[in-house]
Amino acid sequence: MIRHRLKSWLTSIFKRHAAENDLQRELQSHLELETEEQHESGLPADEAYYAARRAFGNPTLVGEDLRESWSLAWLEHFSRDLRYGARSLLRSPGFSAVAVLTLALGIGANTAIFSTIDALMLRPLPFSSPDQLVRIYSIKTGIADSFGNPDGPSAPDVRDFAQRSHSFQKMVVYDTWRKNVSFGDLAGEPEQMRVGLVPAAYFEILDVKPIAGRLFTEDENQVGKNFVAAISTSLWKDRFAADPSILGRKIRINGEPYAIVAVMPDLTPERMESGLLDSPKVWTPFAFSDVWSEPSRGERGYLALARLKPGVSIEQAQADLSVIADALAAAHPVDQGVSVSIKKLADTRAGSLRPMLFLLMGAVSLILLIACVNLANLLLARNSARQRELAVRAALGSARGGLIRHLLAETLLLSLAGAAAGLLLAKAGLASVMMMHPSDLSQLESLEIDWRVLTFTLSVSLITALLFGLAPAITGTRLNPADALKQSGRSGTAGKGGKRMRNLLVATEMAMSLMLLVAASLVVQSLARLYRQSLGIRQDHLLKGHFYVPGVRYPDPAAIARFCDQLAGRVRALPGVIDATVTTIYPPNNGWTQMLGIPGHPATRIQDIPAAQFGVADVHFRATLGIPLIRGRDFAESDIATSPPVALITEEFKRRYFPSSDPIGQKIHIGPPQFMQLPPGAGVTDSSDVTIVGILGDFRNNGLALPPEPQIVVLYSQHPLVNYGFKDIVIRTVSDPSSLAPAIRRQLHDLDSDMPFAEVQTIEALVEEESGGQRFTAVLLSLFAVAGLVLAVVGIYGVVSFVVAQRNQELAVRIALGASRANVLWLVLKQGLQMAAIGAAIGLLGACATQKLTSSLLFGISPLDPATFAVGAALLLAVAAIASAIPGMRVLRIDPSAVLRQD
Amino acid sequence: MTPKASPNRAELLQGTLDMLILRTLLFGPAHGHQIAKHIQRTTDDVLQVEHGSLYPALHRMEQKGWIISKWESINEGKREFKFYRLTKTGRKQLASEQSKWKQLAKAIALVMSPASNEE
Repeated sequence: MIRHRLKSWLTSIFKRHAAENDLQRELQSHLELETEEQHESGLPADEAYYAARRAFGNPTLVGEDLRESWSLAWLEHFSRDLRYGARSLLRSPGFSAVAVLTLALGIGANTAIFSTIDALMLRPLPFSSPDQLVRIYSIKTGIADSFGNPDGPSAPDVRDFAQRSHSFQKMVVYDTWRKNVSFGDLAGEPEQMRVGLVPAAYFEILDVKPIAGRLFTEDENQVGKNFVAAISTSLWKDRFAADPSILGRKIRINGEPYAIVAVMPDLTPERMESGLLDSPKVWTPFAFSDVWSEPSRGERGYLALARLKPGVSIEQAQADLSVIADALAAAHPVDQGVSVSIKKLADTRAGSLRPMLFLLMGAVSLILLIACVNLANLLLARNSARQRELAVRAALGSARGGLIRHLLAETLLLSLAGAAAGLLLAKAGLASVMMMHPSDLSQLESLEIDWRVLTFTLSVSLITALLFGLAPAITGTRLNPADALKQSGRSGTAGKGGKRMRNLLVATEMAMSLMLLVAASLVVQSLARLYRQSLGIRQDHLLKGHFYVPGVRYPDPAAIARFCDQLAGRVRALPGVIDATVTTIYPPNNGWTQMLGIPGHPATRIQDIPAAQFGVADVHFRATLGIPLIRGRDFAESDIATSPPVALITEEFKRRYFPSSDPIGQKIHIGPPQFMQLPPGAGVTDSSDVTIVGILGDFRNNGLALPPEPQIVVLYSQHPLVNYGFKDIVIRTVSDPSSLAPAIRRQLHDLDSDMPFAEVQTIEALVEEESGGQRFTAVLLSLFAVAGLVLAVVGIYGVVSFVVAQRNQELAVRIALGASRANVLWLVLKQGLQMAAIGAAIGLLGACATQKLTSSLLFGISPLDPATFAVGAALLLAVAAIASAIPGMRVLRIDPSAVLRQD
Repeated sequence: MTPKASPNRAELLQGTLDMLILRTLLFGPAHGHQIAKHIQRTTDDVLQVEHGSLYPALHRMEQKGWIISKWESINEGKREFKFYRLTKTGRKQLASEQSKWKQLAKAIALVMSPASNEE
């Protein structure tokens, strides 16, 4: 290709060179002859030469004139066509601007969104043979809602899966825990971070090799031998300035020293799922004393990763594991009703945002379609209006090739301008995506324009432009010029086929933009509802933060309780603090579901065991959060470690488990029933009984979007078995809550200088963050809907004004013959409205058909919400009416006598 | 015989040079100098063909395919000249330009001296 081009370029240079010599020779011979003649007529030789030169004129100038005429003919023609095209585009700036804008929107929006989606979900994972990597989940069926979601398996289950299955090269169970990590005096503040608890197999499955050092040994997975750590490259750089002698240095995790044995690459599946901030940057061996023992089989929630054998499909692997899971369920009571599910690692990326991204992908594809349709329409209208011009030019002897070349140049100019504008738009779009992207998508860190996408969108619009830009030219130039001239002169209507085509295109546009409109409006309404959601607490002026009380320095629950009480007491004494509570829960999330024994709810199967969201707090819980007390009493200072354990429940708890009786005074057993044969201490269990003393108003404990689940709150001082080191503190303040964060951190450090204060945030900011994904979708979808609507309006405007121009004479005749202007206006309006009505009908059907795509993003509104549908359709019709009325008004100004005298 | 010597020199009407060249070549092949001289002589030195327009015109006409050129030697090879000759297309072109010219001349004549029409 390039060689060929080079060759033709070289020959053209040589040819030119030859022609140049030729010319010199020709001029020289002319000059000589002239000199001779002058000499013969009697002038002396030297004078004759000058006379000849004078007669000849300036030979250089002659050469220059000539050279101009040599420049490659096609290039000259084409550049003339380009110039002419540019002029004729500039002569109709409205058309050109709209066409370029249309292209820019289609190309820009699609390039931006598809580049984003590619970065998030489509790009192959950066591991070797990524298609072989799978995650393994346990699914418990038939208990509470939250149990229906995929959950992590237990270690013994994974061990059995690995031993009995035939589909995997390797399988690993691991976990990530939040721990306090200090890096030594030189490396800055202690930090609470997720630490990966992983055997070497984790890295082996991913095929991730240490940058320095070694993987953990099998031996190091035993408690007591596990004091070795691997750190990520980014941590190595941030905390240790990429110190080359890092291996062997000690860091402290939860107060215990660990020797660094490896520096690992940054990239792990966790980093792709939970983002930069919260992904493990430190790993230690998978060492638990009792995790492999049979009683731990019911202890689920671990992470599992596996690599399929080459050639084994995910379905085969799933079938393989399902058989094993059935056998386990039959053999172990705690595995009853537990099934297994595997997913490609690539499909777990972007987690909960996947449906939203699919929706956006659909939406932006619609924009591209609308843009193409619009472009087609514009070109059709413009070129059929020029049918006459083309015919005149053909009649005057312009070659058909020349006409096509001219239209080609015009179309090319338009497309290039559109592409340039689209590229700018895509850049701006990506910049804004980066700015507002939900913070948990680390893969957006390296977001840039995907040139494949740009090429694709560009080609789609270019093909559209060429197809519709040239089609009328080709058919048009094939017309007998005489016919075309006659036709467009008097009868003044486009061919029936062209008209139907245009109407169809506009109706399609309308349909697609209505679909966008409906989707955007549904998502925005959902978001509004989400914001209006009451958390069930007084959510203003609340600050929350997390800390971990490590077992090394606080060996028993009593010590933990003491530390928590001390901290809360100091914080409550701070100026500007109204109240504070140390708790494991705060709305809108909870995440700790507890099996219970409740009077009147005997359970013999695992599916029937009552369960509720479980929280452990101090006595200031209700007062600090501002939860209304419906009945009974709140916790009191008199509820101490040695007094009878008490509990608060929510209204939903009462509705679910005490629908007709009074719960106050009832005793509840915390923990699974005896038949599950769990020894005390295994899992999150507490065999003690509590007495319900009060009923609280419901508060959000299952995210913003889902209704509150039954909730029970107990005191950590009374339940040492569930008094773990993980605690949050929630503070109610007088003024701006975030301003108190440093003071609270100081109190924490006064008590224990090695304890990080993490996840400090106001509750209001937390709510904002929770709805970040929805807001992202809502903003983008609304933009798309507006863009789609604008494009559709332009489309309808274009067609109607075209029709008005074409039917000018017919309308003038009607007016001349006595039709009222209103009637004539209606004739024009009707056309726009018909297209809009057909489009709206198709669009509503389309919105029904695609409801699956939207429904998962909606909250409190049906994907078929009739009001939204009606308003959307009405808006579309209204806009269409206005868009057709503007050119329609021209009808009112028609002067029949003037129009009819034309031509 | 320098251009300055002829006080009655007239400017060539735009577009007529091509026609004159074609007409000249109707007598047979000629090189640039001959063409210029022929036009000058047949018009009694009224029309001076500027070399600056002659050669570009020749090359343009060659590109359009009205004429073709060939280097030929005369005087026993002492000197070479580029000779131009008329093609078939050139002949047709000449015919059409000639008829256009006649129409134009007639029209101009009608305007300039209405009486002469009746002669």
